[in-house]
Amino acid sequence: MASECLGSDGEGSRIVPLTDIDSEDERFRITTLRESAGLQKSIHRFGLCPPPLVAPDDGGFIIVSGFRRVNACQALGWNSIPVRLLRSASGYELALKAVAENSLERPLNLIETSRALNLLEQAAGDGRLADADALALGLPTHRGVTSQLKRLCRMPVEVQGGVLEGALSFAMACELGCMEEGLATAFARLFRRLKPSLNKQREIVSRVAEIAVRERIDPRQVLDECGLMHTTGPADPERNQQIHAIRRRLRQRRYPAVAAAEDNFLALRQRLKLGEMIQLAPPRDFEGAGFTLTLNFQTIADVAHLRAKLDELIDHPDFNRLLTGKGRGFEESSGS
Amino acid sequence: MKIAELYVDAALSERPEVEAARRRFKVPARIVRSAEEVYAAVAAAQDPIGHGKRVLYLTRNRGAFVKSCPGTRHYTCCGYKILHIGTFCSMDCSYCILQAYFHPPVLQYFLNHDEMDQELERLFATRTIHRLGTGEFTDSLIWEPWTDLSARLIRKFAGQDSCVLELKTKTTEIDSLLDLPHRRRTILAWSLNTAEVIRTEERGTTSLDARLKAAARGAAHGYPLAFHFDPIVIADGCEADYRRTVERLFAAVDPRHIVWISLGALRFMPELKAVLRKRFQHSRIVYGEFIGGLDGKMRYFKPLRMKVYRDIAAAIRARAPSVCIYLCMEDDEVWQHALGFQPDSGGGLARMLDEAAARQCHMNPAG
Repeated sequence: MASECLGSDGEGSRIVPLTDIDSEDERFRITTLRESAGLQKSIHRFGLCPPPLVAPDDGGFIIVSGFRRVNACQALGWNSIPVRLLRSASGYELALKAVAENSLERPLNLIETSRALNLLEQAAGDGRLADADALALGLPTHRGVTSQLKRLCRMPVEVQGGVLEGALSFAMACELGCMEEGLATAFARLFRRLKPSLNKQREIVSRVAEIAVRERIDPRQVLDECGLMHTTGPADPERNQQIHAIRRRLRQRRYPAVAAAEDNFLALRQRLKLGEMIQLAPPRDFEGAGFTLTLNFQTIADVAHLRAKLDELIDHPDFNRLLTGKGRGFEESSGS
Repeated sequence: MKIAELYVDAALSERPEVEAARRRFKVPARIVRSAEEVYAAVAAAQDPIGHGKRVLYLTRNRGAFVKSCPGTRHYTCCGYKILHIGTFCSMDCSYCILQAYFHPPVLQYFLNHDEMDQELERLFATRTIHRLGTGEFTDSLIWEPWTDLSARLIRKFAGQDSCVLELKTKTTEIDSLLDLPHRRRTILAWSLNTAEVIRTEERGTTSLDARLKAAARGAAHGYPLAFHFDPIVIADGCEADYRRTVERLFAAVDPRHIVWISLGALRFMPELKAVLRKRFQHSRIVYGEFIGGLDGKMRYFKPLRMKVYRDIAAAIRARAPSVCIYLCMEDDEVWQHALGFQPDSGGGLARMLDEAAARQCHMNPAG
């Protein structure tokens, strides 16, 4: 303890041995960053600035702010470091300092915001964070939002990782947060690997849930049986194909008759060999009565070609099967 | 019907029905100046839909009593007319569209019957066949234990020759109706389903056997009958279950008493899905193969509907070849596949049903 200088708010500067600082105690940790290699280089070159903020605890000190700085100094082999010491602050004041040191320096990410809200509410005497304090710290005050946010840092690690990476939106994280931990982790792992859009994530989650209810099985069994537990981490082009394949598998299982009709329709249409100038579309979900034929042309010669092609189509037995097959999902009738 | 709260429109507080309801349900009558007070009380409940089934609001119908059934151009409508006597239902079917139709749903019973009578008189005076029913926005007979509405309507319809009244129900509340002079102008109708669907999805309704026994009693007292397989719930093995229901129907009722049998597969407004998931967590019926119908409702994939209709119609025809079967809100393609004809070929569905009514109810509009 080489020197000490007290400020007006009870914060003093002093030099303390690193061994006196309990860096394992993370009760005030806000940051989600762990890596300190870059910080080591900076400290080695320019010194420790500003010093970490600590508070006395059980004969030593706990870190209020500066976890990565302390780790970096430990990694650099320092024996002691300058600190800013909060000598007589209450638990709530320490929490305010911990959040302020982070939130006033940079925007907090969602997990950090979640940690900040939890820390402050737990430290507040009545369990409620004053709106004025929240606003001063740049934290949200809307009750609905904060109650959802607070759950984030208690969610499975895989979900939190997905949020930090941007693979999972806040909305999807909240949805996963309502699930049993193993299932939430499985979805989060899948979405972190394949990074589908939010709409596709929602479709996958909803399909799995509906298949599970429909078939009276555990959703994890659906994930497993549809091969969703074992996706690899492919390159971007393959990722899109994998997402497409997963959605297709889930659709086939959730809507077997509809999916079979689509497949049958596509197979019949392929046999017509329509070429690029003609498109034939079924009614939406095969519910309406009308099919749509689209003809693309640029010249009179194209139109003549199309006329001949349409004549061929009218006489093609598969075309008739296609137009009359809607009622049986385009399955080949026994007589055909 | 169990009523926890009784509200009465201030302008109707002296009506005898108010005292009848108060005595029947043993609850005080709360006089209100506007419906908003009732809606607010229901909407504030934790389960407004469930609560709305125990809140009775005696009021007047401020709109028309006779309304045309809201069909859609995409599907064939039967040209039915709704006789709007009240709203909502004290029974609790998972699939009930009324849960999402009224905001919030409340049991309302209309007391301005003089105006209803006037509208009916005007309709009777047209001397053309009309089919009317009270079972669209409510169950026709849940009101029976404490009102004389059905008796009043039966007598009224018995006094004319062009209109037929259909009382559609899942109850067996027909005792007070049996000896009325109905002149076959009233059809007693029951919704039918498989025993499994009734057990799992139709909370608070009567069993299939009870409905069929009641129907047989109605027939024994000369009432024409109708049956509605609606909603048909498609699931693995459902065809066999529906065939069994058909068998039980004809074991209980002679087909000569039947005016018509309708078939309608489960369809619902998309908003109902969330209601159903919340209020009927055990129910799996929304997890069928539904697609978005042309009328904005969710409907089973068309080939599935066609197949189940075809199977049930075949079972009915095997036992009752000449009974009138029709499909509720389906298109020509489904009619052709399921029943082997399209309604337009016989002059349209409305005409087909008018003729069935005229035949079975001995009607003589011109006379």
